[in-house]
Amino acid sequence: MNSETVIRVAFVGNPNCGKTTLFNALTGANLKVANWPGVTVERKEGTVFYKGVKMILVDLPGIYSLTSYSIEEKVSRRCVMEDDVDVIVNVVDASSMERNLYLTLQLLELGKPVILAMNMMDVVKERGMEIDNHRLPEMLGHIPVVPVSARKRTGLNVLLHAVQHHYEEDIPERVLTYPSYLENKISMLEERLKERYPALSYLRWTAIKLLEEDDETMKEYPLDAPEILDRSYEKEIINEKYRYIEEVVEEVLFYRNSSREGRTDAVDQVLTHPVWGVPVFLGIMALVFFLTFTIGDALKGVFEYGLDFLLEGAAAFLQKIHTAPWVISLVVDGVIAGVGGILTFLPNIFILFLALGILEDSGYMARVAYVMDGIMGRVGLSGKAFLPMVLGFGCTVPAVMATRTLEKEEDRKRTIFLTPFMSCSARLPIYVLISSMFFPKYPAAAAFSLYALGLVVAILLALAAGKIKHGESAGTLLMELPEYKLPNARTIAIYVWEKVKDYLGKAGTTIFLASIVIWFVLNYGPGGMVTDVQSSFGALLGHVLVPVLMPAGLGLWQIGVALIAGLSAKEVVVSSMAVLFGISNINSAAGMSQMSGILAEYGFGPVNAYALMVFCLLYTPCMATVATIRKESNSWGFTMKMVVFQLLLAYVAAVIVFQTGSLLFH
Amino acid sequence: MEVYFMEHREREVPMTLLDTQKEKWYQVKEIREKENVQRRLEALGILVGTRVQVLNQKRSGSTIIRVRGTRWALGRTIASGIEVEDCEHE
Repeated sequence: MNSETVIRVAFVGNPNCGKTTLFNALTGANLKVANWPGVTVERKEGTVFYKGVKMILVDLPGIYSLTSYSIEEKVSRRCVMEDDVDVIVNVVDASSMERNLYLTLQLLELGKPVILAMNMMDVVKERGMEIDNHRLPEMLGHIPVVPVSARKRTGLNVLLHAVQHHYEEDIPERVLTYPSYLENKISMLEERLKERYPALSYLRWTAIKLLEEDDETMKEYPLDAPEILDRSYEKEIINEKYRYIEEVVEEVLFYRNSSREGRTDAVDQVLTHPVWGVPVFLGIMALVFFLTFTIGDALKGVFEYGLDFLLEGAAAFLQKIHTAPWVISLVVDGVIAGVGGILTFLPNIFILFLALGILEDSGYMARVAYVMDGIMGRVGLSGKAFLPMVLGFGCTVPAVMATRTLEKEEDRKRTIFLTPFMSCSARLPIYVLISSMFFPKYPAAAAFSLYALGLVVAILLALAAGKIKHGESAGTLLMELPEYKLPNARTIAIYVWEKVKDYLGKAGTTIFLASIVIWFVLNYGPGGMVTDVQSSFGALLGHVLVPVLMPAGLGLWQIGVALIAGLSAKEVVVSSMAVLFGISNINSAAGMSQMSGILAEYGFGPVNAYALMVFCLLYTPCMATVATIRKESNSWGFTMKMVVFQLLLAYVAAVIVFQTGSLLFH
Repeated sequence: MEVYFMEHREREVPMTLLDTQKEKWYQVKEIREKENVQRRLEALGILVGTRVQVLNQKRSGSTIIRVRGTRWALGRTIASGIEVEDCEHE
C-alpha cells in the first residue's frame, strides 16, 4: 500500500449509539454531540493518519434504517452508495443489539466492506450481559467485529487497523437468505437488472429494494417486470430480517442480570410521571436559570474587576506613549468598553450551556418531548417540536437548525416561528443589566419574568396559528428514549467549548465591529469629528426614531441607536448603551448608578425599563438568526414576514406595557 | 352517531395501546396507521407478533413502550393505531 492511498470511511449507525462520540474520539474534531435523534444532520468529515495511510472519516446522521423516508436517511443512503466510500464502519450500540442489527443487515446487502464497531461494551458489562464475539462475526458473514468504547477511548486503534486492511476486500458473503419464493424473485430481478443497467453494482440491494417498492429505487432503476413485482414485499422482507436478528441475539447474547435497565425505569417513574412530569421539568428549568444567575453573577465579579483594571491600564498606557486622543477614545471608550462589557457575561453563558449540555447528554432531553407531548398536541404539534424551543434558551441559531428533526415542512416552519420567543443567552445581558439597575430588590425575578413572558407569547401565537390552520401532527410523536447515563465530561466539555467559542468569536468579530461603528457614528458628524455628541451621525439618526419610540416609553435617541445596533447581535444593545452614555464599565456598581442616574434625568424609570426589556425580548432576532431562518426555511418571504411581524409585535407589546404601566404606577 | 355505536356493538372493539395497563406485556395484533408511519414502525421492529411492554402512559394518550430492548415514546395518534392482545408470559 503506497502512502498516496486515501481511504474514505463512512460512519453509519442508529441515533444514540455513540457514533458521534466515537467519531470525535478518532478525529478530535469539535462536533456537537447530543442525545436525541437526528442532531448530526450535516455531513462532517475528519482526517486521520494510521500507519501512514490517510483516512477520511465521514460522520453520517444517525438513522434506524436505509429506507428513504427522512432527510437523514436519504443523505446517509446516498453517501454510503457513492463509489468513493471505500469502507462502511457500522457503529452498533451493543447494549441494544436487537434494534441496531437491522441497519447492519441492510448495509450488508449493499455488498460493500462493512466493519462492525461494537460500542458501549462497557455498558454491556455493567449490565451483566455477555456477547459472544466469536459467534457474532460468523453469523454476519465474517465481517470484522471490533469492540470499542467511545467514552473510554478504547479499541480505537484496532478499529483503524481493521479499516486499513479490510478496505480492499470486496463483497461480504450473503448473510441472510430469504425464503425461496423471495430468493427466486431476487435472482430473477438481478438478471433483469444486469441486462438493463450493466453499470449497476448493487444488484442484490436494488432487487430487494424494488421488491419493497422503495420510491427512490423505483425512480432511479425502473424495471418493467409486473410478473415479478406484483406487489410490495416490504413487510415480508422486514419480518425476515427481524427473525434473523432474533436468531443472532439468541446465539450471541447472554444475560446474567439487568440492574441498569431497572435504574432507568426507576428514574423514569419520576421524570416521566403522568402528573408530575411537567412540574418536574419546569422545576429543572427554573433551577437552570437560578444557577445561571447566581453562580454566573458571582463569577462575573471577577471579570468586572479585570475589566476595570484593563480600562485604567490601557488609558494610562496609551497616554504615556502619547497616542492621539481619538485613538485612546476609540480603544478605551469604543472597543474595550463595548467588547469587554460583553465578555463579563461569559460566566452566565457558560453555566447556561453547561446545564443544557448535561440535560442533553444524560438522556433527559428526549423525555422532555414525551412530557410536553400532550401540551404540544393542543397546538397541533408533536412533543418533538418542543426540543428546539428548549435549545432556543441557549441560542436561536442552533434551535432553528434543530427543527430539521421534524419530518413535516409545515411543522418546521411553525416551530421556527416560535423559537425566537425563547430568550436566548444574548438577551440575558440585557435582562441582567437593566433588571439590576431598575429593579435592584428583585433583579432575578424581573429577568425571569421575561423568560416567562416569552413562553406565554409563544404559546398564544401557537394557539392562534393552530386556529388559522389546524396542525395535524398532534399525537404523532415517535421517539426513542435512551438509557439515562452519567454525562460524559469530554462530551459536555466539547459542547460547552463550542458555545463559548461562538460567543467569544462573536465578541471578537460582530461586537468588535459594532463597537467601532457605534464609536464612529457617535464621534463623527457631517462636519467631521465632533466634541458634542448631540451633533454626531448617531444622534441625528436616533432623533428620527424618537417620535416613533416615544409611545413605548423609549423616546431617547440613544436607545433608538442601541436597538438598531442590537440587530447585529442582541448583546450589542448593552455594549452600545455603555458607549452611548459614555460609561466605561457598565457592569460595575458605579457604572450602573451612573447610567441609571443619567436615564433618570430624562425621566426614564422602571416602567420604561421594563418596556425596553419587553421590546428586546420580542423584536427582530439578530442577523445570524435571520440568515439561519432564511437558509432553513429556504424562503425569503417566510423570513421577511417573521422579521416584520416580530418588529410590530415588539412595538405593540412595548407600547401596551408602557402605557398601562404608566397608568398603574403614576 | 347511532350507526357508529351499532357497528361497534356488533363486533368486539379492538384493544389498542391506549387501553393497556402499565407494566404489562402485550403482543401486537394489527397495525393501522398512515402508510408512512406504518413503514416506519416496521423498520423499527414493531411488527405484527412483536411483544411490547407498556412502561408509562399519560391521560393525553402519550405512551412509553419497551420493544426489542429499547424504549419508545409514542404520541396518542400512533398509540391508538397499534392493536394489541394480551400476552401469556412476561
